[in-house]
Amino acid sequence: MTNVATRSIFSACTIGALGLTLLWTGCTVRRVVFNDVVTTEQVNFIRIGQTTILELADHIGAPDEVTESDFGVVALYNWSDTKSAALDFGALARLVLPYAPTMTLNKTGITPEQFQVVFDPQWTVRAYGFSRRTTDEPVVWFWPF
Amino acid sequence: MLFPKPLAGIIIVLTLVLTQGCVVSRGTIGEPLQEEAISAIKKGTTTMAEVVSLIGAPDRIVRGNDREIFHYYYYDGKSPAMLLLLLNFIRMDIKSDNLYVFFNRNGIAEEVVYGKRTGRTQFRLWPFGD
Repeated sequence: MTNVATRSIFSACTIGALGLTLLWTGCTVRRVVFNDVVTTEQVNFIRIGQTTILELADHIGAPDEVTESDFGVVALYNWSDTKSAALDFGALARLVLPYAPTMTLNKTGITPEQFQVVFDPQWTVRAYGFSRRTTDEPVVWFWPF
Repeated sequence: MLFPKPLAGIIIVLTLVLTQGCVVSRGTIGEPLQEEAISAIKKGTTTMAEVVSLIGAPDRIVRGNDREIFHYYYYDGKSPAMLLLLLNFIRMDIKSDNLYVFFNRNGIAEEVVYGKRTGRTQFRLWPFGD
C-alpha cells in the first residue's frame, strides 16, 4: 500500500513538473525600472508662483535635469518602467538537440515618462505638468502583432 | 532507503536546474556624492572654485536665469537574473542621485539642491508587481 501511494505521488509530481516545464518553456521576462514614479498626488502641494525649487526638491527630490527654455528654466524628472517578454518555441529542442532553433515572439514596451516644472527668474514654479501618462501594461505580453 | 533511486535522481537534477543560471550584475555611472562635502557648501560664501575643490568638476554646467548651475550625478543599477534552461527572469533597478549648485553672478553658491535615490536601489528578481 505504501509503495502504491509513493508511486502515485511520484507520478503526480513528475506530471506536474512536466506540465509546468511545458507551460514555461522558452519564456523570458525582463523588466527595467528607472527611478521612482512621480504621481499626481505627490505634486498636489505645488502652488504656482509660490512653491520654490527647494520646496520641490524637499518633497520629490532633486530633478534629473535642469535646462533653459524660452519660458524659463525647466526642471525635468524622468522615470520609466520597461517591460519585455519573449516566448521561444525552439527552447524545448534544447532538451534533446545539440542545436536549438530560434522561433521567438518578443514584445518590449519602453515607457519613458517625465514631469516638467518651469520656473520664473525667482525660482518659483511658473507651470508644471506631466509629459504624458501611459496606461499600465501587463509584464508578460509577448504577442508582437 | 530514504528515497527510491529515481526520485533521488530527479531531486538532484531539479536542484541543479534550479540553482544554475543565477546572475547578479551591478552598474554605476560616476562616483557617489559625498554628503559631508555637500554640507560643507555654505550659501552666500562658498565660491565656484571651492565647490570644485570639494566635490570635483561638475558633470554638466547648465545656464539658467543668467546663472551658472553645476550639475553632479551618480547612477546605480542593480540587476539580478535567473537564466534557467527554459525560463528566464531578468530585472534591473536603476536610480540616480543629483546635486545642483546654483551660483550668483559673482560665482558664489546661492542655492544647493540635492536628492538621493540610490539608497533605495534593490536587487529584486521578481519582475511582477510594483
